[in-house]
Amino acid sequence: MSQLQARFFTEDKRYVVDNVPFSIPAASQVQDLSNVINKLLEAKNASHSNLEFDFLVRGQFLRTSLSTHMETENISTEEVVEIEYVERITAPEPEECMMHDDWISSVHANDEWILTGSYDKTARIWSVEGKAVMTVAGHADAVKDVSWGKRDGLSSVLLTASLDQTVLLWEWNSEKNKVKARHCCRGHTGSVDTVSVDPTGTKFCSGSWDKMLKIWSAVPTDEADEEEEEEAADRPRKKQKTQQLGLTRTPLMTFSGHNEAVSSVLWSDNEEVCSASWDHTIRLWDAETGSMKSTLTGSKVFNCISYSPLCRRLASGSSDRHVRLWDPRTKDGSLVLLSLTSHTGWVTAVKWAPSHEHQLVSGSLDHLVKLWDTRSCKAPLYDLAAHEDKVFCLDWTETGLMLSGGADNKLYTYKYSACQTDEGA
Amino acid sequence: MKKIGLKRAKEEEDEQKKQSVCEQVLTFNMSPAEEEEGDEDVSDSEESVYSGLEESGSDSEDEPSANQQEGRVLNEEVEQLEERVLNEEEAEQREDEYEKDSSDEEDIRNTVGNVPMDWYKDFPHIGYDLEGRRIYKPIRNKDELDQFLDKMENPEFWRTVCDQQTGSDVVLSEDQLELIKRLQRGQFGDVSFNEYQPSVEFFSREVMIHPVTNRPSDKRSFIPSLTEKDKVSKMVHAIKMGWIKPRRVEDDSRGRYYDLWTNEDSSSILNKHRMHLPAPKLRLPGHEESYNPPPEYLLTEEERALWEQQDPSDRKLPFVPTKFSSLRHVPAFSRFIHERFERCLDLYLCPRQRKLRVNVNPEDLIPKLPKPRDLLPFPTTQSLVYRGHSGLVRSISVSPSGQWLASGSDDGSVRFWEVCSARCVRTVQTGGAVKSVAWNPNPAFCLLAVALDSVVLILAPSLADGHVTSSSERLLKSQQEAEPSEGVSCNWVETKGEELNQWIRLKIGHPKVVHQVTWHSKGDYLASVMPDHSSHLQVLIHQLSRRRSQNPFSRNKGLVQNVSFHPLRPYFFVATQRSVRVYNLLKQQLTKKLQANAKWVSSMAVHPTGDHVICGSYDCRLSWFDLDLSTKPYRMLRHHKKAVRGVAYHRGYPLFASASDDGSVIVCHGTVYSDLLQNPLIVPVKVLRGHVITQDLGVLDVTFHPSQPWLFSSGADGTVRLYT
Repeated sequence: MSQLQARFFTEDKRYVVDNVPFSIPAASQVQDLSNVINKLLEAKNASHSNLEFDFLVRGQFLRTSLSTHMETENISTEEVVEIEYVERITAPEPEECMMHDDWISSVHANDEWILTGSYDKTARIWSVEGKAVMTVAGHADAVKDVSWGKRDGLSSVLLTASLDQTVLLWEWNSEKNKVKARHCCRGHTGSVDTVSVDPTGTKFCSGSWDKMLKIWSAVPTDEADEEEEEEAADRPRKKQKTQQLGLTRTPLMTFSGHNEAVSSVLWSDNEEVCSASWDHTIRLWDAETGSMKSTLTGSKVFNCISYSPLCRRLASGSSDRHVRLWDPRTKDGSLVLLSLTSHTGWVTAVKWAPSHEHQLVSGSLDHLVKLWDTRSCKAPLYDLAAHEDKVFCLDWTETGLMLSGGADNKLYTYKYSACQTDEGA
Repeated sequence: MKKIGLKRAKEEEDEQKKQSVCEQVLTFNMSPAEEEEGDEDVSDSEESVYSGLEESGSDSEDEPSANQQEGRVLNEEVEQLEERVLNEEEAEQREDEYEKDSSDEEDIRNTVGNVPMDWYKDFPHIGYDLEGRRIYKPIRNKDELDQFLDKMENPEFWRTVCDQQTGSDVVLSEDQLELIKRLQRGQFGDVSFNEYQPSVEFFSREVMIHPVTNRPSDKRSFIPSLTEKDKVSKMVHAIKMGWIKPRRVEDDSRGRYYDLWTNEDSSSILNKHRMHLPAPKLRLPGHEESYNPPPEYLLTEEERALWEQQDPSDRKLPFVPTKFSSLRHVPAFSRFIHERFERCLDLYLCPRQRKLRVNVNPEDLIPKLPKPRDLLPFPTTQSLVYRGHSGLVRSISVSPSGQWLASGSDDGSVRFWEVCSARCVRTVQTGGAVKSVAWNPNPAFCLLAVALDSVVLILAPSLADGHVTSSSERLLKSQQEAEPSEGVSCNWVETKGEELNQWIRLKIGHPKVVHQVTWHSKGDYLASVMPDHSSHLQVLIHQLSRRRSQNPFSRNKGLVQNVSFHPLRPYFFVATQRSVRVYNLLKQQLTKKLQANAKWVSSMAVHPTGDHVICGSYDCRLSWFDLDLSTKPYRMLRHHKKAVRGVAYHRGYPLFASASDDGSVIVCHGTVYSDLLQNPLIVPVKVLRGHVITQDLGVLDVTFHPSQPWLFSSGADGTVRLYT
């Protein structure tokens, strides 16, 4: 079995080769196959410059020699092997390092601006180039989560959730560089750990340590909602403070059902809210009716979830070292499609690639950020070992910028170029 | 060649025949020397065959020699000659006899003849001489002393013997001694006698071509013998008539040789001793022993150096495998004697006694316990480290919600941590080494009791919802005036100013150093421990809402180590050095006294159902008490190498843990059944390490997360660790 019949194909129009079977040595590695493709392309197109390719055999990345891979995957060596090749994903390049005064608890970026929340009770706005634009101060305690809201010309809405049990809705004018607290969302009785704006930008959902999920309006208005009486009476000191920070807003809807703190919440589409909790469950809620649609049960505390509309999968990070992939549409729940294991500490953040259906990034307490491809579940594509302490938050923008922040007070950005080339795929 | 040889042999034989006839006749005329000379021209075989005849035939040797030529005379002449010679010889012998005969004179001293000498035993004489006078025995009156002196002085004593015939002492001559020695050795008396003189074999095993006699066989050897026939017919007749019985055939059924002890009963001594132990077998030689071993068996340089360094008893092989090109080059085995000796030692020293070994599979002795894997979840790995304290962390406590962790350290600070991120959110400087912290177990309050020096502080860290904060405020403010009761000198002080910013709300002054604080599950009562041998004032129970302190015990029952409230019923557990007492608070009486079987109890934890208690002790033990079962420990666990410092139960999961000075935390599974007949199932599941041992102190406190199967431990290295 020294030679194998292989047929190469790709979906990238730029690198198509003739659809004929080749006889290649069974012991050939990725590099050898890459050379073969390069030779073929050169023969076809004289101006072709050498490129690195990666190879997929039946949807799995080739990481060892071809024969060993086929042996482990139980692929017959008698027939012609279909090998798909893609341009190799280049390593994300670290770009900027933004220093904060305290631990970074959360990060959210849009096309132009980066919003980070920190344990020093402030949120900060940065440009994608790494320039500090604005510091948003107002919370009485550490900011646990931040999110961009609707963007309307020069002014954009941003949300900050904090340990002081409130979510603040701010309006920021990027031209004047002025931020104004429009609403103080009060109603949670525990620290608000997570906040997420729906795709239309009109509502947001928050999850708290008090086991509740609350839906609020994300549209800034000029009138305050009615406030409960007792609270105002009991803590005048705190009330004064919050009054300065904007109008009080009360939740539109409250979802109760979790038995433990809610750690992560997101909108999977316009009507569906997905929440992960310390009670070892991921629950899907209908945002219109407020009813629970289904429950995915795990065995460990969930720290974070991420949803990819491209592959319609949920990725979760737990208080163990695995990243698990779930299919939220399965009715009977507890079905883990895949476990990605390489971290050595709790997985504190996961994020799907916004433009690639197979890639995700995960951050862990072991100081590492790892880039994964679900087609190569045994080992991550790249380890990003920039952080010197626990990683708490991650984000990945449409423009291919990856961000990670952690307990070393640093926010790193990485330029990730491979996304664009794969967009055609 | 053969033919010639045969021919020659025949010629020789012919000659022999002639000669043999002549020689038989002429022997007497030849001296032996001449015989030999004459024989020289004859073949060897001839000599060997006839030499015996010659000697046996010769009677005398001292005959005058005669010429060989003269031998060729007629037979008659020879016979005549022979007769003459014989006659002459006889005559000579007779003359000699008469000349030399002196038998009479020889034995002149003994005249009694051949009679037993003891006949003369009682007489002084033996026999008589010719004149009829008595011949007296030599005087033999030697006593023992004389004999001894004689033995010492007389060099001839050893060869002096008493002649029985005459009764006189005779000194043996050298010749006689020689004779005696020869006879003693079993040799012939005559020195000159050659007992090994060469014998001449007349008949040999070699078959000659010529028979000794050439006579044809008799006729009678061909015809049946009539005499024999007659004898046989007589015997046959006798058998027929029954006069002769055929020889009795020996009964062989038992076997010629039989086991004498077959019917021996098993209890007899012989049977007890009889057993067969096969000799230890020698190992069969392998490739190493070969003269030409495969190269992998040959020692490399390092192996050889190692082999030489090793003690001979430690060596794997007693020799160095060596390669020879051929078997011829193999030298003699130098260790042969040594090896044989060792083999003999093996055989000699092999045990002669059969030991009855009980063959018990060690697996069977281990009680059947479920596998730890089936008992998941329990904490398995260290997940987070809470760093910040600069002194050893004596005590930790988790808020009832599970979001916050409080730790008290010797550096004088109390820190509040966010559990999930290891973030220190509050630091309270108390100004003294914190001995104990305890979070109010009631989720409606957010209060922390801190024991340091002789003060108990009540902290209200605003880490909870406004409702909770306000209700805690209400609890603290509800009763303004303190009621010092029953002579208990506790001063309740409300703090002001700077300390208020440090979230310190109340100070409860104690008369002595407080070691431990613990809350009642309702969150209103607080117990504090002041260990003191001499005083009856060791435990105080404070009521927060009424700001009242009381001393529940009027008598001192030993050094109190630890106290705890029953989680559900009004009972109070007091751990002293050697025992745990259970008091009913309503009836105010002792309900139970648990014997800890330990020298010094260090810590105690009560199961959430209140029916089980675990006690850790400084002598490395952990004892589990089932209150319904007995006052003795249901189970003692000795897994720790050093003193156990802290024990804890999980509120929800069937888990408990113990922390020890050896730097480890051991997590055990402890299922409690509601069925009274079923005993608790206790399985140690995990040893958690991580803390660094500092100043001989390891892990000082351990506690579980209220809802998750997570474990917190605080150590002397100033860290708090979370295991999940």
